[in-house]
Amino acid sequence: MAVYTPETSAEIETIIRDALLQKTPLKISGYGTKTGLGGQVQAPDELSLAGHKGITDYQPEELVMVARAGTLLAEIEEALAQKGQMLAFEPPHLEGFYGTEHAGSLGGVIACNLSGPRRISAGAARDYLLGFDAVSGRAGYFRSGSKVMKNVTGYDLSKLMCGSFGMLAVMSEITLKVLPRPEYVASLSLICASLAQAQSVLSAAFGSATEPSGGAILGEGGGFVATIRLEGVQISVEDRLVSLSDLLASFSDLRVLEGEESSDFWANMRDIAFLDKGAEQVWKLSATPSLAPQIIAEIQRAFDIEFGLDWAGGLIWLSGSGAGLGSHIRNILAANGGGHATLMRASDSIRAIQPVFQPLGEAIGGLQTRIKTAFDPENILNPQRLNLGGEADANAF
Amino acid sequence: MLLPEPEQNILDRRDEIVAALKSMLPKGCVIDDRTTMKAFDSDALSAYRNLPLVVVLPETARQVADVMKWCRDNKVKIVPRGAGTSLSGGALPLSDGVLLGLGKFNQITEIDYENRTVTAQPGVTNLAITTAVQDNGFYYAPDPSSQIACSIGGNIAENSGGVHCLKYGLTTNNVLGIEMVTMDGEIVRIGGKHLDAPGFDILGIMTGSEGLLGVVTEVTVRILRKPATQRAMLVGFDSAQQAGQAVSTVIGAGIIPAGMEMMDNPAINAAEDFVQAGYPREAAALLIVELDGPEVEVDYLLDRVAGLMKTSGASSMRVSQSEEERNQFWAGRKSAFPAVGRISPDYLCMDGTIPRKALPEMLTRMAAMSQKYGLRVANVFHAGDGNLHPLILFDANAEGELERAEEFGAEILRNCVALGGVLTGEHGVGVEKRDLMGEMFSEDDLKQQQRLKCAFDPDHLLNPGKVFPVLHRCAELGRLHVHHGQLPHPDIPRF
Repeated sequence: MAVYTPETSAEIETIIRDALLQKTPLKISGYGTKTGLGGQVQAPDELSLAGHKGITDYQPEELVMVARAGTLLAEIEEALAQKGQMLAFEPPHLEGFYGTEHAGSLGGVIACNLSGPRRISAGAARDYLLGFDAVSGRAGYFRSGSKVMKNVTGYDLSKLMCGSFGMLAVMSEITLKVLPRPEYVASLSLICASLAQAQSVLSAAFGSATEPSGGAILGEGGGFVATIRLEGVQISVEDRLVSLSDLLASFSDLRVLEGEESSDFWANMRDIAFLDKGAEQVWKLSATPSLAPQIIAEIQRAFDIEFGLDWAGGLIWLSGSGAGLGSHIRNILAANGGGHATLMRASDSIRAIQPVFQPLGEAIGGLQTRIKTAFDPENILNPQRLNLGGEADANAF
Repeated sequence: MLLPEPEQNILDRRDEIVAALKSMLPKGCVIDDRTTMKAFDSDALSAYRNLPLVVVLPETARQVADVMKWCRDNKVKIVPRGAGTSLSGGALPLSDGVLLGLGKFNQITEIDYENRTVTAQPGVTNLAITTAVQDNGFYYAPDPSSQIACSIGGNIAENSGGVHCLKYGLTTNNVLGIEMVTMDGEIVRIGGKHLDAPGFDILGIMTGSEGLLGVVTEVTVRILRKPATQRAMLVGFDSAQQAGQAVSTVIGAGIIPAGMEMMDNPAINAAEDFVQAGYPREAAALLIVELDGPEVEVDYLLDRVAGLMKTSGASSMRVSQSEEERNQFWAGRKSAFPAVGRISPDYLCMDGTIPRKALPEMLTRMAAMSQKYGLRVANVFHAGDGNLHPLILFDANAEGELERAEEFGAEILRNCVALGGVLTGEHGVGVEKRDLMGEMFSEDDLKQQQRLKCAFDPDHLLNPGKVFPVLHRCAELGRLHVHHGQLPHPDIPRF
């Protein structure tokens, strides 16, 4: 097994061309911090972007940053913090969750389209990728997008790269939209008797003019704690805290979280740190927010689970064990407004038999396979990392 | 403007094609007489007109699927059309193509306040979504100037923006799900009331695909709670360069206004003549800055912005004191296009985007180009996100003026790309900017985009002749030559 560490896009091109000529698939990685997510890639050689790093352009007043794919997420966030800016999609730091040394590369965050609690108000990683250059599985160098905020010139291939798990092309440079950090953050928490009540609290908060940027529910004692985050200029956050407290005045135990207490809470949600570390399986469900209580109740009828909710209820994190948990979850989602479930963490043996990503059905699976073929006809890049549910899986080397 | 050469065998089969379409659609859903078809011969880029082969107006997704499957099997082209408000000719018909109108898809199917979503058929207008939910204090954020007429399906096709996308995003950031029909006649659903979708992001790629990948038959969007307060300020400057600099200063200070628009002197005066918005006629440039949120926040930020504007050299400043006055401030901006239409027999509206910091340089170059071509230009910009709308004034009846205006427009767009920007920010490529794609993309970039097209529509039947200047056959694009240990053109130059 060879590990290639290219430092330029031209070197990436050469490595992929050689792989293509020898029909030898490549595992595409940054620092390998997210190999626990997705199907296991069977490839003799690895293309690691760990040597292709560095911020190449950062213009705070243009709200634009360009960095090579292998740049550490920590380095990006540090540079942004120095100028009072941030990645608004709040990428998770999963080193604790996957037991790795650090949170990995920017390329990995983008390729996995990972977003944190602010996804509900500010959008996902995919909403902040303005452009990129890359080398396809055809060993073809191409560019898409730009460094400007508003661009509809040609297909929006940036969207396709986010969440493609390295299966379409190897990104070289990544152009991001960045935003100012909020000057002040505070959260409001309250205890509810039932999950349904906590869910309706979040629904009321997000339907109000208080502009929440996070909405989570965690079990505590026999009850449920709903937490709502407000961000912005201090005078505004304070004003909205009052409005929100008025809106939820029927709850007697409102509590304001400020400073580190608030930021620790949301980092805990973002990094999935609240679930049992020893759990056999950790699942991420994207669901219709209002149906979350019902979905959880139905899952609990057959399985013992631990869970927490984010994205105003639209994101359900849960841990549990047992064969059949995955298909049970997916059946219940399908019967309750639709959505999708991802197996975020499990042993290799469970991931080998359990589809990690939501199976896509014939029509969409066929489209997905044809998209894969359009970029990587010989299935050289990260075969089987995503289960596409079509020929690309079957034809894996 | 050259469209693909019509296929004679399709034109010859017109009667048969019309009969087949009539057999699969209800009465009144097929329009084949030339007089009635005339209403569909162009979109809002009315310089180009062309009669379609036939017009179909299906009523259900099943009917759309039947038409598309039949067209695929019979190798007949399709041009989808929403409300026909495209400014780039995206819905320009083809003589040998079926024009597929979605006008009968005009129902809002569900409003869900608990999950803050609206589900609508694609022919529903952008504004109708806001109208449907505003009594409950909600709205749909993207607000293109054509929002009274443009359809939500067309918004998906073009990834439409508006004056508030600086803070609230474009269509792509506000759509949660779609139902679409593929060229194979399959009806598929992507997304819904939940966030994100598994697999490659088909929703993301459909948005802004200009009707080349599939036909959207239902849309789910997120709606937002209306901000508690909205106030706008008018800020005049003695030079456009100062105004451009002020825009960067505000954003550099960490303030993202709900909207930040700019107009130059000709646009200010045209708008003022038209609607008496109270604009400073003597100003070289005018900024309209809107702030929204809780009242205390708006007051606080208005103060800060006012301070930044003063240090940037503002010559006049006015803050709206009532909702009526705020609407009046916007009335001038929103009617800038018709206002310019009154001072010139014809105009071309361009749509490049540049990095904000290049705004002053671009204005200097634009003035020089105006001299060179002997044509006036009025500028309205979405300054906050660097999106330019220069309006080139000309008279189509004057010999050679249209050609000169088009050349002027092309030069503006080439300058946008040279300054690090793009050909189109929100109007789309369509036929209008198709032949300029090579200014921004290399041949390899364009081929990779077209390979994506092949995954959806291998026979190039959906809206061909739009977006891409050269139509490569999919078999040719898909071929991967690996022989003698070499890929083709290993040393192909990059641009």
